[in-house]
Amino acid sequence: MKLITYNFLTSKCIRGVKVGYPLKLKIVQKEVVQTDFNPEFITRLLPRLDYPTVHMAAELVDCAEGVPKELGENYAADQDLLQKLHHILLEIDIIEGQLECPETGRIFPITQGIPNMLLNEDEV
Amino acid sequence: MIDSGKNKNSKIQRKHKRCQAILSRDANVECVSHPTKFIAICNAGLSTGLQKETILEEALKYGRVIDIVMLPNKSYCFINCYNEDDAKNIFDNMHGHAKLGQNETIIYLSYIKEIPEAPNQYNQDLPEGLIIINDFVSADEERILLEAIRMSEEPLENNLLKHRRVKHFGYEFLYGINNVDPEKPLEENIPVECDALWKRLEDKVPDRLALVPDQLTVNIYEPGQGIPPHVDTHSAFLDPIYSLSLESDIVMEFRRSNNNHVPVVLPRRSLLIMSGESRYAWTHGITPRHMDVIPSKEGGGLTIHHRTRRTSFTFRKLRRNRCDCAYPELCDTYAAEQKSNEDKLASVAAKLEEENVHKVYDEIANHFSETRYKPWPKVENFIKSFECGSVVMDVGCGNGKYLSVNPNIIEIGCDRSEGLLQVCSQRKCHVFQCNCLNLPFRDNSVNGCISIAVIHHLATEARRLQAIAEMARVLVSNGRCLIYVWAKNQEFNCEKSSYLHRNRNNRMQNTKSVSNENTQSLSSKSELVDLPVHMNRTQFQEQDVFVPWKLKSSGPKSIETTTEDGGVKKEFLRYYHVFEEGELAQLCARIESIEVECAYYDQGNWCVIFRKK
Repeated sequence: MKLITYNFLTSKCIRGVKVGYPLKLKIVQKEVVQTDFNPEFITRLLPRLDYPTVHMAAELVDCAEGVPKELGENYAADQDLLQKLHHILLEIDIIEGQLECPETGRIFPITQGIPNMLLNEDEV
Repeated sequence: MIDSGKNKNSKIQRKHKRCQAILSRDANVECVSHPTKFIAICNAGLSTGLQKETILEEALKYGRVIDIVMLPNKSYCFINCYNEDDAKNIFDNMHGHAKLGQNETIIYLSYIKEIPEAPNQYNQDLPEGLIIINDFVSADEERILLEAIRMSEEPLENNLLKHRRVKHFGYEFLYGINNVDPEKPLEENIPVECDALWKRLEDKVPDRLALVPDQLTVNIYEPGQGIPPHVDTHSAFLDPIYSLSLESDIVMEFRRSNNNHVPVVLPRRSLLIMSGESRYAWTHGITPRHMDVIPSKEGGGLTIHHRTRRTSFTFRKLRRNRCDCAYPELCDTYAAEQKSNEDKLASVAAKLEEENVHKVYDEIANHFSETRYKPWPKVENFIKSFECGSVVMDVGCGNGKYLSVNPNIIEIGCDRSEGLLQVCSQRKCHVFQCNCLNLPFRDNSVNGCISIAVIHHLATEARRLQAIAEMARVLVSNGRCLIYVWAKNQEFNCEKSSYLHRNRNNRMQNTKSVSNENTQSLSSKSELVDLPVHMNRTQFQEQDVFVPWKLKSSGPKSIETTTEDGGVKKEFLRYYHVFEEGELAQLCARIESIEVECAYYDQGNWCVIFRKK
């Protein structure tokens, strides 16, 4: 699971959960993969993400240095920052770990890089 | 006085002109000033409440008429006269005089060059299986039969339905449930006077049409009375059904779906036999009115028949079993079994999807993936239509064949099957596991969604609707979603889908329709619910079916069969709900936050693109 996917996942579908976001991420094993950097793509993608969660994930994978807590207006001109965000969102692959619902503590395991977000019929 | 007369005349002329203009514009009918045998009534027709028999009765006072042509929803109609002299006489007597329209308005006539084509209703073929035997009983027998039912001894209120009098013999027909109770025969059997009829019938029709009935319903229709269109309850009575008309001719209207309407004249003392399609798939009824338009006996054309009292004897034989006819549209047995199947499906939906969708895909994941590599062009185009930096979610991504179509966007896939997700993961796609009924995604977060061949695996309409609603929820405002589901009809627009083309038998005879025979066996091989097993590469016969997947290797949860070459084949049954035309778009229309942009048919699938408001 790349951190771009993590940015969208919630546990809102659990009955009784109001927001279910962001999920608590615990990393057991991760890998770094190289992908092509496209500054225009990252620039256009960022407004579609929940930025505080991007920053939180950056801290979790020890890549927050030089990544601001809030995205300034001129981020598009900051090639370094775009490069860093590209790395955080698309190059760090969580292979083993878990996601936890912030409200109920329900655990969603990540195995072989795939988060299992399945819920039982009695949970929804 | 002279002035007002002139005014009146010019007013009529003005009105007349206006009507003629409508005729030429609307019906492309050319009005001419010299007499022809064709007359248009410019300001009265079906839409103003004018009835064929009213106009015919008036016209026949002045000349002979071949046909009255009335078009649905039009405020004009046409008289096809026997010849120009008849036409001239009718025109001179009716134009500006006769009061036939709504509120008795004066009607205006015009000669016209030609009458627009409309089929003469009495020139149609009778519904399949309908037989009329004229003079089946003699006048003497008619009298004896009428006496035998002793209707006059009955107090009127005992047998007065809303629109007619009725009396039952053998078994009572219960109008509340539209059926009979085979356990409760009436004391009064079919009168013995009827017995001679069945021997006579044997001599006149093939054996399969000659039953000896055990139930008789007598109806008495006074002029102006009728019976609403209906089909005799399939499960109550066998095929055929007999109806003997006594005392008066009548016109019975036969209808099938919306488009087929065949009026049939039932002469006095004739026997009507409704068998096969006419018994099962057509409704029949009698319009409540005082006169019928019927073909005239001499010289062709039409005439008016004033109804007198008619007594009909409807003879039927109880079925005492479920109906097994081939005409589901009006079959109560079929409807009841459908309903019970739907209820059963609803009660096992989650389990069925688990056993006959999720587990099967996990088993066949690798083989399935090998057969799914080529993206469908229209799906590919949809994904490519998103601008750089967009986020698109693929709900039910399978082996991920659409996850790397557009390098300028982020595509995140999800699926229920772990086996298929592992294939995606090996291809370095972004994926997670979930059920499409509950997408673990933020509200209003993605620019696009696709769901290709997924929601036809959900076993109830409520679940299919929920899956669509979930996609609507995660879309941003103006976000777009593309859905593909398998179509029940694999031959839309006379073109076979590639699914059917891959059947060798079909390839040989491209233009012929796929035979319905032997395409389905009724064994379900599932403990959960009885569903037909679809024969691969053929048209679907039902909406809820099991579709086999044949795998040439071993694995649990499958049926083993030995192939011709001696190998062992495994057959898995996948549950499908195949969609009728319009069904998917109608589901989408029930979700308020979205708007259907287009719906189309593509390679055996019904497809919808919707946009979030």
